[in-house]
Amino acid sequence: MGVSQELLDILACPKCKGDIHLNESKNGLICDNCKLLYEIKDDIPIMLIDEAKPIEE
Amino acid sequence: MKALVTGAAGFIGSHLCEYLIEKGCEVVGIDSFTDYYPRSIKESNIAGLKDCGGFEFVEASLIEASLAKLLEGVEAVFHQSAQAGVRASWGESFKIYTDNNILATQMLLEACKDRPIKKFVYASSSSVYGDTTDLPMRETSLPAPVSPYGVSKLAAEHLCRLYFKNFSVPTVSLRYFTVYGARQRPDMAFHRFFRWALEGKPIEVYGDGKQSRDFTHVSDIVEANWLAFEKASSGEVFNIGGGSRITLNEVIEIIKEMTGVNFEVRYKDVQKGDVRHTSADMTKAKEVLGYDPKISVEEGLRREYEWIKDFMRR
Ligand SMILES: NC(=O)c1ccc[n+]([C@@H]2O[C@H](COP(=O)([O-])OP(=O)(O)OC[C@H]3O[C@@H](n4cnc5c(N)ncnc54)[C@H](O)[C@@H]3O)[C@@H](O)[C@H]2O)c1
Repeated sequence: MGVSQELLDILACPKCKGDIHLNESKNGLICDNCKLLYEIKDDIPIMLIDEAKPIEE
Repeated sequence: MKALVTGAAGFIGSHLCEYLIEKGCEVVGIDSFTDYYPRSIKESNIAGLKDCGGFEFVEASLIEASLAKLLEGVEAVFHQSAQAGVRASWGESFKIYTDNNILATQMLLEACKDRPIKKFVYASSSSVYGDTTDLPMRETSLPAPVSPYGVSKLAAEHLCRLYFKNFSVPTVSLRYFTVYGARQRPDMAFHRFFRWALEGKPIEVYGDGKQSRDFTHVSDIVEANWLAFEKASSGEVFNIGGGSRITLNEVIEIIKEMTGVNFEVRYKDVQKGDVRHTSADMTKAKEVLGYDPKISVEEGLRREYEWIKDFMRR
């Protein structure tokens, strides 16, 4: 099924509340501001600060 | 109509999402998968929903989520998320209750201010009444909870009323009386009784088993949420019970008959926070909402039994 555009439109970074976007492999959402990756597992975006992965530059 | 359901992967929330989808609503579900009981159970609660058109799900906590965005276009909020459990609410774990039951509710209400929301239905609890001998429990009785959980549920109910009075958020609180049925939480009595019976283990009961509850089937609870959305006046509180009160010992007899297992019953000490009896006065819910519970305890237990047999095979 994948994460729908409708859902992406209503999600934001839980940390800074800023915009997020899909990563290239479409298995995570990236907040450029906080440099965090929120994973998508079994089509569920996991928007929890504790679970987010820092992105290496 | 677009609805936001909090606690969507929980016992009641998942049933409510299915009902709303069935009604043709668009549903956004949010749940943080708290570790009160295993994540795998909650995942299986929403497994059927994930393939439904019109259902979106996000794993997030109300405390940190960007609620403003999640609420875009939402007309109905069904606030079912909470840290449940009366007995676990003492001591250090109380913070989990203040965070998920009080703070989370306040943040959701705050986010609902100045939005075109038609109704905000809050899942309150009969535990707000405490251990009263003045039965049935009426909405006008003075609430005096006997567990920290009950205190947290009552605090959130007050917040709902405040946000209606001060900011016109159209809140309604439904005081659920012990809910059961398919997907019942694994810490709840019927779920444990059935599981123990099927595992050939003795059944453990807190107290003498003569305590009684106004058990309410989950399908009646879900229906009450819809009626509250459609008909309730804002700022009000309603008792939502199952329509009859029965003792745990009577339930155990029904379970014996249903399962055909002649298990041993072990009575243990009463747990702090448990009340002796609950019984809902439903005059108001009947008159204002037209609420009329349909599922008898026998029928509801049969449905839970069918589910639990399947659940244990997984
Ligand atoms: N089951 C009953 O007998 C009963 C009786 C009275 C009231 N209630 C109320 O009904 C509601 C649903 O209860 P239930 O039995 O389905 O419990 P449940 O534990 O199965 O469901 C609650 C869900 O809320 C989620 N949650 C908790 N904190 C959250 C947060 N901060 N953000 C997002 N999600 C969060 C949990 O992960 C869980 O999946 C609760 O508000 C409860 O207090 C239940």
